[in-house]
Amino acid sequence: MAEPDAVQTFETGLAEIRGAYAEALRAARSEPELRLINGRYVGPQGELTKLLKLMPKLPAEQRRQLGQAANALKQEIQSTFEEALQTIFRGAREAELTGPPLDVTLPGRWQMPGRLHPITRIRNEVLEIFVSLGFDIADGPEVELYENCFDKLGFPPDHPATDEQDTFFIGAAGSVDSESVLLRTQTSTIQIREMMKRKPPLAIVSPGAVYRRDDDATHSPMFFQLEGFLVDEDVTFAELKGVLTLFLRRLFDEHVALRFRASYFPFVEPGGEVDMSCVFCRAWEGDRERTALCRVCKGTGWMEILGCGMIHPVVFENVGYDPEKYTGFAFGMGLDRIAMLKYAIPNIKLLYENDVRFLSQF
Amino acid sequence: MLVSFRWLQELCPVDADVAEVARRLSLAGLEVEAIEEKGANLAGVVIAEIRAKSPHPKRDKLTLVTVFDGEDELQVICGAPNVPEPGGRVLFARAGAVLPNGMEIGLRKIAGVESNGMICSEAELEIGTDAAGIFVVDPGTDALPGTSVADALDLHDVILDIGLTPNRPDCLGHVGIARELGVLFGQGFKPRKAAGPRRSFAAAGAFQAGEPTSKLAPLWDNESEAVDTPKLPAISLEIADGDRCPRYGAALVSGVRIAPSPFWLRYRLHNLGLRALSNVVDATNLILLEWGHPIHAFDLARLAGPKVVVRRAAEGEKMATLDEVERRFTEDDLLICDANGPVAVAGVMGGRDTEIRDETSDVLIECAYFNPRSIRRTSRRLGLHTDSSHRFERGVDPGAVPRVLASASSLIAELGAGAAATTAIDRIAKPIEQTSIRFRPARAAQLLGTPVSKEESFDILESLGCRVAPEGDEALIAEVPSWRPDLRREVDLIEEVARVRGYEEIPTAVPRVHPSEAGTSGLLKFVDRLREAAMASGLYEAVNYGFVSIDDLRKARVSTDAVPLANPLSEERSVMRTSLLPGLTAAATRAQRRGATEVRLFELARTFRPTNETLPRESSVLAITLAGEHAGWIGGEQSFDLYDGKGVIQAILSRAFGRAPKLTIGEVPSFLHPKRSAIVTLASRPIGFVGEIHPDVGDDLELVGRVIYAELDVELLYALSEELGPMQARGLPKYPAVTRDIAMLVRDEFSAGEIADALRDAAKGLAESVRLFDLYRGDQMPDGHRSLAFRVTYRDPEGTLTDKRVDKVHASLAKLAGDRFEATIR
Repeated sequence: MAEPDAVQTFETGLAEIRGAYAEALRAARSEPELRLINGRYVGPQGELTKLLKLMPKLPAEQRRQLGQAANALKQEIQSTFEEALQTIFRGAREAELTGPPLDVTLPGRWQMPGRLHPITRIRNEVLEIFVSLGFDIADGPEVELYENCFDKLGFPPDHPATDEQDTFFIGAAGSVDSESVLLRTQTSTIQIREMMKRKPPLAIVSPGAVYRRDDDATHSPMFFQLEGFLVDEDVTFAELKGVLTLFLRRLFDEHVALRFRASYFPFVEPGGEVDMSCVFCRAWEGDRERTALCRVCKGTGWMEILGCGMIHPVVFENVGYDPEKYTGFAFGMGLDRIAMLKYAIPNIKLLYENDVRFLSQF
Repeated sequence: MLVSFRWLQELCPVDADVAEVARRLSLAGLEVEAIEEKGANLAGVVIAEIRAKSPHPKRDKLTLVTVFDGEDELQVICGAPNVPEPGGRVLFARAGAVLPNGMEIGLRKIAGVESNGMICSEAELEIGTDAAGIFVVDPGTDALPGTSVADALDLHDVILDIGLTPNRPDCLGHVGIARELGVLFGQGFKPRKAAGPRRSFAAAGAFQAGEPTSKLAPLWDNESEAVDTPKLPAISLEIADGDRCPRYGAALVSGVRIAPSPFWLRYRLHNLGLRALSNVVDATNLILLEWGHPIHAFDLARLAGPKVVVRRAAEGEKMATLDEVERRFTEDDLLICDANGPVAVAGVMGGRDTEIRDETSDVLIECAYFNPRSIRRTSRRLGLHTDSSHRFERGVDPGAVPRVLASASSLIAELGAGAAATTAIDRIAKPIEQTSIRFRPARAAQLLGTPVSKEESFDILESLGCRVAPEGDEALIAEVPSWRPDLRREVDLIEEVARVRGYEEIPTAVPRVHPSEAGTSGLLKFVDRLREAAMASGLYEAVNYGFVSIDDLRKARVSTDAVPLANPLSEERSVMRTSLLPGLTAAATRAQRRGATEVRLFELARTFRPTNETLPRESSVLAITLAGEHAGWIGGEQSFDLYDGKGVIQAILSRAFGRAPKLTIGEVPSFLHPKRSAIVTLASRPIGFVGEIHPDVGDDLELVGRVIYAELDVELLYALSEELGPMQARGLPKYPAVTRDIAMLVRDEFSAGEIADALRDAAKGLAESVRLFDLYRGDQMPDGHRSLAFRVTYRDPEGTLTDKRVDKVHASLAKLAGDRFEATIR
């Protein structure tokens, strides 16, 4: 049922809204304010919404035209609203972009990673180099048979060579034989175990904890070694030199020089020790004065870094390889020492105190 | 071993300075670890002549001395009791001189009298050990006042400290090192003859008839004056164990006078680390340092028989050694005995009752070759490591016996003004086999990776003292000299050739490596991944010793059935750890004591358990400990609790493994809190535990606050990872998901996890996830209840879900919660 007043009310309403909305919307200073104002026109209780509820009361012939006018107004409001909203957004963004910065010195917020122990770090560095050269990694028990730690490695019975490795024995004190159980004094035991298990060609590195009865300022009763060996037909001392040169240059500095000295380990022959140019005074740079004052190499320009040699034929015989057919080289190093050199760790004891102030530096 | 450079130069003069000699020796395997110049630190110390002496006016023990130092007469005060009469010469430190110990000599007033310098003892100048009095220059020494003491006493020398490897007993004496120098400098070496005694006598009658002897006279350089053979009973020798004593020689020196040694000898011994005692004993030590062959001097008068018997000890037999300790022997020990009983522990130490005394006149000098293993076992058993045992257990030169005896008897006769017998007993009880080795230059070249010629090899081996002969075209036969017991097979000779040429002559090459097909074991790689994951999850890696004390284990309430050490360094480290708990929590305690507010540690290492086999079982364990507060962002710190432990385990496993674990209630180790800990399971398999440390255990371990501890069994985890295989990827969902929340009031006894699982099951495959997003307790709730709100994500992999279908399923979830968990849906 049409009501003539309704047309009047409707038209007046539209006119009032049309006259006011733009200013009202543009006056809003924030998004909530804008939405509040917008709601007054087009919200569920808004003025325009209320007008539209009058639609059924309009005469049918005017309903279409008035409806269109109302819809057009609604769209105008909507687009003005969006425009105003954009202005507010833009204003806020401009304010943020030109206003005072955040205090970037406040701490970052994330779960920080922990740290690997320097021994693990250096082990990973060393292993990565050897793995890239084609070596496998192997492992063995820390509690070992005397046989694997000494006899099979060619230590003669009752020989002073074992004095260099003051050994912890397991069980009750008593006489020592090949069945005696001990804490391995060297990772060379893994050489024996792997050679007994596998057949050449072999290229293996084996890191691990070893134990010796030494506890003073420069010795720890447990420390870490890394042993490496390669067995094949026609392996040469020249190749041993090649591998170790490559290794030390990759690990420390591509300029370090190496010096191979003759030495003695029962399981290698010829046996040697390797000195490397001092990495503290960077001896290869030839600054004699700096080297002369270097406390690490004591002015010599050299530092002892590892032991090595060609695997002794007696070792091959002990594991059932033909020493005429196969040759091989082996080398061993103290990971503690390498870590200390590489990371300038002043004291071996720091490695085993687990002080976070120390660990957090790695 | 300490080596006198000057002595080396006397034995084998080489045209090189100390640094070059040290370098060559080091490269060849005789590592020079330190070089110390002697006689260079005595500037300002000169010879001075005593001109007058009188007692100090005020002090009894002081003497006023006027000395002439070559320039001036000076008054000094001396506290020594042995100031010589005028004309005597002393060592005088002028004012301004700095003594080796750092003391600077200044002008001083002592009890009111001025002293212009200091008269020194040998100890003060560190040229000897005598500190009882000042050093009085021997009248025979030709030195004018004012001469520097280093020149006057001929103190110039350089001492090399060589770290000798145990395979080179030949270099345990100066002759051996001189020989090595001769080889390295390519000039050969011939040992010098001993000087020879001034007086000698024919030994006929001194030794029992028929005893094999060696002539010493031909080994002496000088002619000596023949004197009558002293009237002595004939000495006899019996070797009861030829295996352990293959060769025994004995020389005789008669009519010696025991006295202090001359300065040069005392000084040499002092520089080489030995203490001077008296001429005969000092002579035996000098011979030891020269030849590397220990000898022993017996007082013949006290040798019952006189007889020397070399035999094994009877079990329990006893003797006092010259260090005044009564030693008890076993049947495995070799003794030197006289007619009455033991007089020396063969090769280790002499006996107290037959050692040289001030009254000794006739000396029997022993020079033998003992079986190295026998000496070593005895030395170890007695805990007696001596200069003698050190050499015998490495193997002395059995061929050197006559030469050493010739040198020793000549030196002792000379120093003691006695006469030496021209022959010595020299019994070979068991011939020592000479080693002959076939050497193939081609094999050497193959092993070294560089050409090796037959000619060069020949020369090198010969220079080392081998007798070399060609064998066909391809090989050499080298008979190894008796002083090189370390040369036993071809490869030993290859090392000699390489070493003498120098390892630097060998080129470098890169080998063809044949990588294995299996590669590194998966377990090792997995362990590495776990370490990385633990680190990435915020933990710091600890490394503890493998041994702990049994008390540590007891306090931690972990297994005390541990692998014990037979010879631990201390009780603190006497058994192998059965758990990582004691070590890791000790690190946490230490950190807390130092005031660390947040401790986040892990260790991945082995534990050890006894087994019925010879070797214990070693298991790899990943242990974690959290203590203190978990730092928030500027404030907001929170004490670590179970959920931090759970979170870190989830982080580690999802990183290393791609799967998150579950926690279930079950029996945890007794060191954990019974109500605040859980078993960790993965794929329904228990793989570890996590929880608060039991407060009582925490007290025993001196931990502060609630400390979280977790362990994962690395081998189980690895086995599981192998079993489950690599992650299998799925494509992305094709149809949209619908989420619905369900909140309920439920009694505490029902865990959130079991409710979530039940809800998921009830959704019959449509619930992609059920996630707890709110947990609430309030006053308005009944006691022992809490409100849990879950967000369920529904998705049908086969098609788009309709609201109607979701509503139906969601309603069934609500019903289930009500039925099974007596929950009130909110």
